[in-house]
Amino acid sequence: MAANYWASTQRRHWLFTREKLAEVRERLRERDKVTHSQFPLPDQRLLNIYFNQQLIKLGKRMSTRQQAIATAQVYLKRFYTKNEIRQTNPYLVLTTAFYLACKMEECPQHIRFVVGEARGLYPEFITPDVAKLGECEFALISEMSSQLIVHHPYRTLSELQSELPLSSDEVALAWSVINDHYLTDLPLLHPPHIIAIMAIIVAVVFKPSHPGSFGNSAQSALAGAMRDGGGMGMLAALSDKPGSGPPRIQKLVQWLAESEIDIKAVIECTQELLSLYEVWEQYSEKHCKELIGRMVKSKNLDK
Amino acid sequence: MALSPFASRSPSVTVASPSSALRLKAAATHHAPGQAVTAKSDPNPERELTEQLNDDVRRKYVKGKKLGEGTYAIVYLGHFRDDPSSCVAIKKIKVNAEYKDGLTMDAIREVKYLQELSHRNVIALHDVFSSKDQNLNLVLEFLPGGDLEMLIKDGDIHYGVGDVKAWMGMLARGVWFCHENFVLHRDIKPNNLLIAADGEVKLADFGLARSFADPYLNMTHQVITRWYRPPELLFGAKQYSGAVDVWSMGMVFAELLLRVPLLAGMSDLDQISKICEAFGTPTEENWPGVTQLANYVTDKAVPLRGREFFLQQFPTAGPVGADLLMSMCVLDPRKRATALQVLQHKWWATEPRPTKNEDLPRKSGTKKMGDDLARRGGETDDGPFKNAARQLDFGGMK
Repeated sequence: MAANYWASTQRRHWLFTREKLAEVRERLRERDKVTHSQFPLPDQRLLNIYFNQQLIKLGKRMSTRQQAIATAQVYLKRFYTKNEIRQTNPYLVLTTAFYLACKMEECPQHIRFVVGEARGLYPEFITPDVAKLGECEFALISEMSSQLIVHHPYRTLSELQSELPLSSDEVALAWSVINDHYLTDLPLLHPPHIIAIMAIIVAVVFKPSHPGSFGNSAQSALAGAMRDGGGMGMLAALSDKPGSGPPRIQKLVQWLAESEIDIKAVIECTQELLSLYEVWEQYSEKHCKELIGRMVKSKNLDK
Repeated sequence: MALSPFASRSPSVTVASPSSALRLKAAATHHAPGQAVTAKSDPNPERELTEQLNDDVRRKYVKGKKLGEGTYAIVYLGHFRDDPSSCVAIKKIKVNAEYKDGLTMDAIREVKYLQELSHRNVIALHDVFSSKDQNLNLVLEFLPGGDLEMLIKDGDIHYGVGDVKAWMGMLARGVWFCHENFVLHRDIKPNNLLIAADGEVKLADFGLARSFADPYLNMTHQVITRWYRPPELLFGAKQYSGAVDVWSMGMVFAELLLRVPLLAGMSDLDQISKICEAFGTPTEENWPGVTQLANYVTDKAVPLRGREFFLQQFPTAGPVGADLLMSMCVLDPRKRATALQVLQHKWWATEPRPTKNEDLPRKSGTKKMGDDLARRGGETDDGPFKNAARQLDFGGMK
């Protein structure tokens, strides 16, 4: 992390209210209704899951840091608040976001290598011409007003680990929850420390029954537990009466109360995550791939 | 940190929000690469709006004569269209014709950090816009006063301890601010310290800057121009801290006092032996762990220099000033002063007081600013001493 979040461009220019974000997207839709009805796309979150999988595939052979993948996901979100996805070749945009994010997170990859990897994955959609990626990088930077530093919740999590303290299982689960939040709009809606707190609460309250079984995503471990609703009540109690629940949770609640963190926002984030896990069940990689492929091909966006 | 509500940015500084818009078409739509895009050919009215935004920013400025040119950028003098008296420097980043390799790390770093850092002693980035030929243009604060190197080298300019104190104070505040925001500058040297019309010193050239790495992640040691490079980097340390910038600051301090570079090594090895001669040889006793560093070498065993050495070598600084310099030149980076400790040193409060900005010696250096900004990080002007630090390993660097 660099620079001060409170004075950052992220806080000043890339934090939306829910209403504002909806308005921005509605405007994009209004402008091109025909294309919208012609090329329906899955729920934004399902698309995000698909994009995330592509980024992980791209990064696989390059030993990319998770943080670069996270930055790339935020770049995609920012970019698509200003541009209609149906006017772009998402494969080129996501490859570019990946390339730029790697530079930004100090794990640069050579442009030829990135293009080579992307071509291996999407031979139909990525041309061998590296200049394309260079141009798209330029566009991406301009479109984000050259505001490139992204503050992530990971750092807050590792700092709070010893303060709270959290067990390594809890940290691992919270880490996966943070990975998952990039599949939602949360990075555009809330500051990173709120997300980190949300991830910690989720990890502590909904402790999974099989510790250590969750991988990159916490979905499988958490979806069931959260749906049962057992924890939600406890979470709701956070805001009004501290002092109930098991001691472990009580301690966390007390810490939260003293921290003056916006509990409402934290609860909102938790609900967002919950609905992500619900939507996730409808996810079909094949479906996303087909719809995007059809759109890119028939609009000649890959040229 | 995200949890701290403390904002270190001075509220008096207004931040221009650079809103360079884009020319997305070539990138993402059906237009052929390099094809000039006109508003007419675009069916999407909003696109025109984004272009319009960029044009608005571009039109805010008038580009004037060329101030300097380097391998990486051309710098022009410019001014606000509606206020010809307020000047800016426009740094046009050269991109190789067909974007063969994407934007360089230097350009990316410079934009990345200057967008976020706003401080009196850090060069201000007013705007970023793209020009017709798809070049990135950084609109920077205009600093007509040249740089510290010019003042040091110019025998006709006389300056005293009060002046050095004023310049060092401004440098230390700029560096402290960077470190406070988790940014390492990694190329502090006199010709990266530019001087504004009002005499204020500004830290420029963030082409080598990066944020503090997460613990245990490696960084490259091939940074900082050799004469200003600390021993841990010369020994190949891959994990380091703000102490590297503090060492460079110490070298600048010494150079201001002596008016020649203190340790002008001809090679990395020569630089190490000059450091040993000057301050003593790093050993396990004075620097636990140093012998484990990848490139650790020593040829002679010079005992660690004490306070007397600094007093003798830098009499003009006075005893308190010599103490400060000594604390910045400690071999072991863990024992070296931090930027904050430098600022808290009692030297600033001892006589003579730092010279007021308006009374500082000065000299016009418009041309110099052009050259300084056009240079790549790690490059110097002097051909024979081309001690370029720059060998950033693009692939392996973490």
